[in-house]
Amino acid sequence: MSEDIEFRESLYSRGRAESLEDFVLQLQDLILDSSDVRDFLTDMAAIIATRLSHGGNHISCGITVIRDKRPITVASSDARARSLDELQNTFGHGPCLTALKSETAVYVPDLAADRRWPKCTTAARGAGISSILAMPMHLRSPAQSVVNLYSPHKHGFSHHGIDAAESLTGTAAKALDIALNIAHLRDARDDLAAALESRTVIDTAIGAIMAQNRCSHDAAFQILVKTSSHRNIKLREVAASIVSSISGEREFPTTYEE
Amino acid sequence: MINDAASEGPQPAFGADQRQLAAAQFQSANVTLPELWTYYYGIGGNADELALDAYLNGMVELPPLQVNLLHAALKEITADGL
Repeated sequence: MSEDIEFRESLYSRGRAESLEDFVLQLQDLILDSSDVRDFLTDMAAIIATRLSHGGNHISCGITVIRDKRPITVASSDARARSLDELQNTFGHGPCLTALKSETAVYVPDLAADRRWPKCTTAARGAGISSILAMPMHLRSPAQSVVNLYSPHKHGFSHHGIDAAESLTGTAAKALDIALNIAHLRDARDDLAAALESRTVIDTAIGAIMAQNRCSHDAAFQILVKTSSHRNIKLREVAASIVSSISGEREFPTTYEE
Repeated sequence: MINDAASEGPQPAFGADQRQLAAAQFQSANVTLPELWTYYYGIGGNADELALDAYLNGMVELPPLQVNLLHAALKEITADGL
């Protein structure tokens, strides 16, 4: 390899590495600042759209995340990407859903010439879109995600553009994994905190029933369960009313170390 | 669970139906197993997550009180629209 080529290659890869490093820093800030996964995805979609747009080629970006037993999360850089993502979800077909299911990138360089998703492509062309690139994100979390890129131009994504999109998506997938993990842990923590509070009230009520009825713990519990199901009132609420009928207390603070 | 046999509540003859109902409710609810277990623990349940999983899949029996609590948890968690 001649010196000249080496020099040019290193210049090229350095520029790209710096831009990617910058993207990673942006994503880290997003993770720290976002209050939930949807916020995070919306900001990430905006950053990806900006990074891939150049000149008159204004790219819209939508991100879809599917988690087990959760509603689908859809986020987008603008209204155009949002309505196109939603259209595909309504039709139940489209390049983005195909990318999601097959876990491979799908590129439609010219919507006018494509016959695979007639309903979807007609709607997209009506919205002023001429090419679509859908890149699946490979996640470690039990979730599936796809980044949908829409261009108003035919052949809106060059080889270089597709490479850039692939590299951004790969980096974005790691950030999304972290964000999903944090969200999952936060939800689990909130659920446990709520469970501890609820259990304290119920345990107290069981003790009161045991004392009043001179019965065993399990017999007292069955009384509580029966009352709750007959009156169609939550167990915790029945328990709270029993405790407050004895002590007059309405608040039951549970202290535990966070 | 020494007193479970003496306690009232649904009779063992309905055990299999009860279990199928619980399993079907869990399948259709937008709730994961850890979420269901946490809620069930919060209303006083004592079986661990593995035992709930095994019960819902027909592998083990749970004491009647724990079955009732699991049903109560499923009912409350689905009524919440979680």
